[in-house]
Amino acid sequence: MPLVEIEGLRVSFRQYGGTVDAVRHVSFSVNEGESVGIVGESGSGKSVSCAALLRLLPATAEVAATKLRLDGVDVLKANKEDLARLRGRSAAMIFQDPMTAFDPVFTIGHQIAETIEAHRKIGKREALAEAEQLLLRVEIKNAADVLGYYPHQLSGGMLQRAMIAMALSCRPKILIADEPTTALDVTIQAQILQLIKKVQAEFGMALIMITHDLGVIAETVDRVVVMYGGEIMEEGPVTDIFEAPKHTYTKALLASLHSRFEPSKGDPDAVAPALELRGLAKSYHTRRRSGFRVIQGEFQAVQAVDVVLPRNRIVAIVGESGSGKTTTGLMAMRLTEPSKGQILVDGTDISALDAAALIPFRKRMQIVFQDSYSALDPMMTLTQIIAEPLHIHGMGTQREQREKALKWLERVGLNRSFAGRYPHELSGGQRQRVAIARALILEPTVLVADEPTSALDVTVKAQIINLLKDLQAELGLSILFISHDLSTVKSLTDSVVVMYRGRVVEEAPTERLFADPRHPYTRALLDAIPATNPREKRLRTFLSSEEIGARTPRYTVIQTGSAPSAHPQLVTVAPGHRVEAIVTT
Amino acid sequence: MLAHILRRILSVAFTFIVVSIIIFLMMHSVPGGPFDANDMPVSEAVRARMMAQWGLDQPLHVQYLNYMWGVLHLDFGVPFQSPGETVVQLISRAWVPSLILGGSGVLIGAPLGILLGMAAALNRNSWIDYVASTVATLGLTIPVFVTSMLLILIFAVWLNWLPASGWPQPNRWILPIACYAAIPLATYARYTRSAVLDTLNRPFVTVLRAKGLSERRIIFQHVMRNSAIPLVTVFLPMFIGTATGSIFVEAMFRVPGLGAYFVSSIEVRDYTLQMALMLLITFMYCLAYLLSDIAYALLNPRIRVGGAE
Repeated sequence: MPLVEIEGLRVSFRQYGGTVDAVRHVSFSVNEGESVGIVGESGSGKSVSCAALLRLLPATAEVAATKLRLDGVDVLKANKEDLARLRGRSAAMIFQDPMTAFDPVFTIGHQIAETIEAHRKIGKREALAEAEQLLLRVEIKNAADVLGYYPHQLSGGMLQRAMIAMALSCRPKILIADEPTTALDVTIQAQILQLIKKVQAEFGMALIMITHDLGVIAETVDRVVVMYGGEIMEEGPVTDIFEAPKHTYTKALLASLHSRFEPSKGDPDAVAPALELRGLAKSYHTRRRSGFRVIQGEFQAVQAVDVVLPRNRIVAIVGESGSGKTTTGLMAMRLTEPSKGQILVDGTDISALDAAALIPFRKRMQIVFQDSYSALDPMMTLTQIIAEPLHIHGMGTQREQREKALKWLERVGLNRSFAGRYPHELSGGQRQRVAIARALILEPTVLVADEPTSALDVTVKAQIINLLKDLQAELGLSILFISHDLSTVKSLTDSVVVMYRGRVVEEAPTERLFADPRHPYTRALLDAIPATNPREKRLRTFLSSEEIGARTPRYTVIQTGSAPSAHPQLVTVAPGHRVEAIVTT
Repeated sequence: MLAHILRRILSVAFTFIVVSIIIFLMMHSVPGGPFDANDMPVSEAVRARMMAQWGLDQPLHVQYLNYMWGVLHLDFGVPFQSPGETVVQLISRAWVPSLILGGSGVLIGAPLGILLGMAAALNRNSWIDYVASTVATLGLTIPVFVTSMLLILIFAVWLNWLPASGWPQPNRWILPIACYAAIPLATYARYTRSAVLDTLNRPFVTVLRAKGLSERRIIFQHVMRNSAIPLVTVFLPMFIGTATGSIFVEAMFRVPGLGAYFVSSIEVRDYTLQMALMLLITFMYCLAYLLSDIAYALLNPRIRVGGAE
């Protein structure tokens, strides 16, 4: 008998003025030890289906099914005791954001131990001892210390490990992972996926992997359920789905995974690059209290970065959170004041200009942010939002401004009928289109795009990337594309700058960087990209983060000869390819 | 943690001193004085002698230091209204009724408000929730003198269950206490409801459910503990505000409490009592915020344990 049986599941939410179906006609089953992936975009009903399985939905949800069984128990008829047994013991869950998944006022040890105590008759002391063992099994080295830590004292990756330990605490038969790596950096994501696969094998559990990321699916599961708009589009073995997708939505998903690479046509005649950053650095003063003493310090967010953005090109800055990539982008726009260095726009240094002198340059440089919702004023209509830059720079009469805004609305692929709408009436992708229209209406030469597609679903992401590409070619734009998503970078940009802890560690034309990465960090980053083909599912060695860290050299060593130095420096290894290395003779 | 507390104490002490200076200067900037011609028709020589005797001819900062030196020894002088006793004696006599009535009001009202707020949050959009919202709105919007009149009208005049006013028999305390309880009850009902709802919507509550914890444990251990963090900071300042007496409530129920003296000491230019009362209130609030800060730090591991590794 299958471990999970779902047949004809329907979930609807009561709202003012009726009910809305979130999930319809969903049927699938999971056998013991099997790995099943559920893939779909936000709102496709993938999380709701699994929450229904554990009756975790809010009271406003109405759940109906011809069959909804977990571990032999009819979930819809389960009483309190049945539910307590199902949750945690039959099935355990791990969630997307480990930072908010733990109660902030209790220690990690307490929260794991209380799970054990809830399901077994066991003393606090033994429960804590078991918690320590579990933490060791998820490769947390200082398990005894971590028991006494509060959630805010741990990093996201460590917390997700602790969350996995907590899920394992009652030896569940099935592990439900709801986007377990979405909130994490790429390199951490790879480690967590490995860990999930490892513990699944060790504990002999079944796995349901809920994700929007086909790469995660290819890496982890045997069978895939594709969901769209609350319904199952297709279902099958992972290789079939990747190699012979039947449904158009699945095909669109896969297409976004294998997007083409076309370098943009640069402008060889141009003398000065559109944007050049020379030795741009940002440091923050820090004040730390230790008893009554205040310890002054300096935090180097960005250390003397050189970036060149040639005319009509797209350059990516990649790096994990905290690497300084966003700060660099904001400094280039002079939205954050740099501590040192120069910003050259078409050859003119704007780093020391005052507010008035900066205005003409503001027209030439625009920015698009990640979170389109908070980037658009909720009280303004789309026309007002798009026309506002014209209004600020006093360009044209009100009528002309409005007319131009409407044109741009169409240009970014939205209907004119959207003109009077407000941002909350749009989807994430549509809002990002509006943000792009607002940025480009001044016809700038430089666009800084700060993770513009990170908050979007896979298929929408592909559309926005295509839109940016088309507009770039039409307008002759130069784009500084800031991202942590290497697959997007690969399909869009001409060259890549890799940042790590505030430094540029490698820089190369895109194709070259992906083919021949030199810096250990770049290699780790590329290694961490999930496979795009389930047949390429790599057999990775199961190393802990510390072990990987210990084995990876911090720098490459290059023998060039002329000027050896003990300090790492950027070395040119090929035309346009620079890497941070220690130079020896 | 200890350093954190000591730093808070220093900053609160500084606040107290600054406020005391401001109060002292304000008292002096008010035109007129105790030996003004129309208040006290005495000759110029006598006035000068009296000014010298009370130290009022000295520069302002010397007067302030003299005064604060007395304050440190709990010597606030003699109230002009009743020269037979010291200010300290008067306050310790008059504060008792205010403390009993106001204090009980908060101690009864706050827990009831917390219960009501929790019940409302856990049964959202049910009749309990609507009752709680109504009670909270009424409690916060109807002024105390209206509440007290209504209470007197209903329980003393119509039903004739309780005496309308007076002191000191305990059955006369009931109505003013009920009056005092209204505001903490309403405030806490509102705060608790929103704090609990806020916590219930946080992702970790779903995680706790998915772990198979009982609903009771989730509510009473996790949700309560998290919701309590914003609630403790409100409690002490509210306690001080109520337990120093309300002019209206004390007037309505003819309670010989502290409240009446706030008004009378201004009316009759009773500088010593005025200063003492204001310093007392300032001191109590300073203490309340200090204790709230410490309680907040104790409940919140982010402050207690400090930053990330």
